[in-house]
Amino acid sequence: MLLTLLKRELMIARRNWIGLAIPVFFFVMVVSLFPFAVSPDAPVLQKIAPGIIWVAALLATLLSLEQFYRTDYQDGSLEQLVIMSSPTLVASAKIIAHWILTGLPLVLISPLLGVLMQLNYGVGYDSVAEDHTVVLMLSLLLGTPTLCLIGAVGMSLTLAANRNGMLVSVLILPLYVPILIFGASTVTASLENFGYNGQLAILGALLLLAMVFAPFAAGRALKISVS
Amino acid sequence: MINSGLFASDLTVSRAEQTLIEGAELHLAPSSITYLYGENGAGKTSLMRCLCGLLPADQGSIRWNGKPISSSDSNYFNDLLFLAHALSMKAELSIMENLHFYAKLRGVNNANGLIQQAAQQLGIDHLLARRFAELSAGQQHKVALCRLVVEPAKIWILDEPFVNLDHQTRDWLANTMMEFAKQGGVVLFTSHHEIEQLTIDQRLSLEH
Repeated sequence: MLLTLLKRELMIARRNWIGLAIPVFFFVMVVSLFPFAVSPDAPVLQKIAPGIIWVAALLATLLSLEQFYRTDYQDGSLEQLVIMSSPTLVASAKIIAHWILTGLPLVLISPLLGVLMQLNYGVGYDSVAEDHTVVLMLSLLLGTPTLCLIGAVGMSLTLAANRNGMLVSVLILPLYVPILIFGASTVTASLENFGYNGQLAILGALLLLAMVFAPFAAGRALKISVS
Repeated sequence: MINSGLFASDLTVSRAEQTLIEGAELHLAPSSITYLYGENGAGKTSLMRCLCGLLPADQGSIRWNGKPISSSDSNYFNDLLFLAHALSMKAELSIMENLHFYAKLRGVNNANGLIQQAAQQLGIDHLLARRFAELSAGQQHKVALCRLVVEPAKIWILDEPFVNLDHQTRDWLANTMMEFAKQGGVVLFTSHHEIEQLTIDQRLSLEH
């Protein structure tokens, strides 16, 4: 059942890829503004890079949430899905599809932004072990699914409200703060040659916690929203 | 207590803090067609959504074959086919893909033959590969009606199924509904016009 739902999401997304590409473009554009605005100096950029990239990833996720349920809600298929399978399953399929379509591209494109923000300034070309972009990717890989999971709860709650995109931003941004703190500090720790496993572990723990609770909360909220 | 079909007792439904139905009792027996009518805003759609488990009732119980619809052993949601006003089809997918998805959710694995057959009956079999968004309103409505043939169900709840249809399709829908009822199915539908082709077993009127 989950696979059927997931396959449908991916099929629709393939026909509608422009809408999904926009958050990724946004991510790249926002980050690329900083060398212009702040300074093109490598040490300066390197210092602010973790925070900038993480904040941009967070905003890009927020932007993509807008389309999470919208068309399904408008054309009535969300109702049908809730009747024909369970709300929790529907929410889970949406979350997985949403991460594959919007979270994963952010992770994959982040090395490019790492280059742009001089993340590897002062690191030798041959030392993979010290490559900070790998750490950035790892932190995003563990962080973005949590952002999607929390976002799903917010979207399910505000589905029936007008301008739910605005409302959901205000609702869930505070909940994104812990992930932002640990995500950015993972990369900062790596830049300063400290151990970053602890931060990654916390990101992983937050992800597990969200995976356990968010699908049920989102399902429950979805059920209320369609009534 | 009635143990067959859909039985609602002491049902109170409200929408936007306005009570639409109060303390109603309603029985949709197997092999029967029920016609629900009333003015715009009388609560027909709300009642249907309530019977589909989408809108929680303020009070009262709804039972399917004697078991509460929310309990899993009633199997109600597998037996239910609800066609709402919104057609619930994805504009990006083809007709075939849309219908195939719903069939798959019902556990029908080889739906292609059934979809072909349904589309042929409705005269849209040449459009199966087209995207849903490319069809006319009437054709889109026909696609939604195909679900009646493709998906196995025991109870149909149809919100204004006769809207936007040409004469031929009206006849087809009336016949399909009667055939379904003959085989033991339960049908509840709304309409603003009398459907003369249809033998109606029960009439329910909703008033303000």
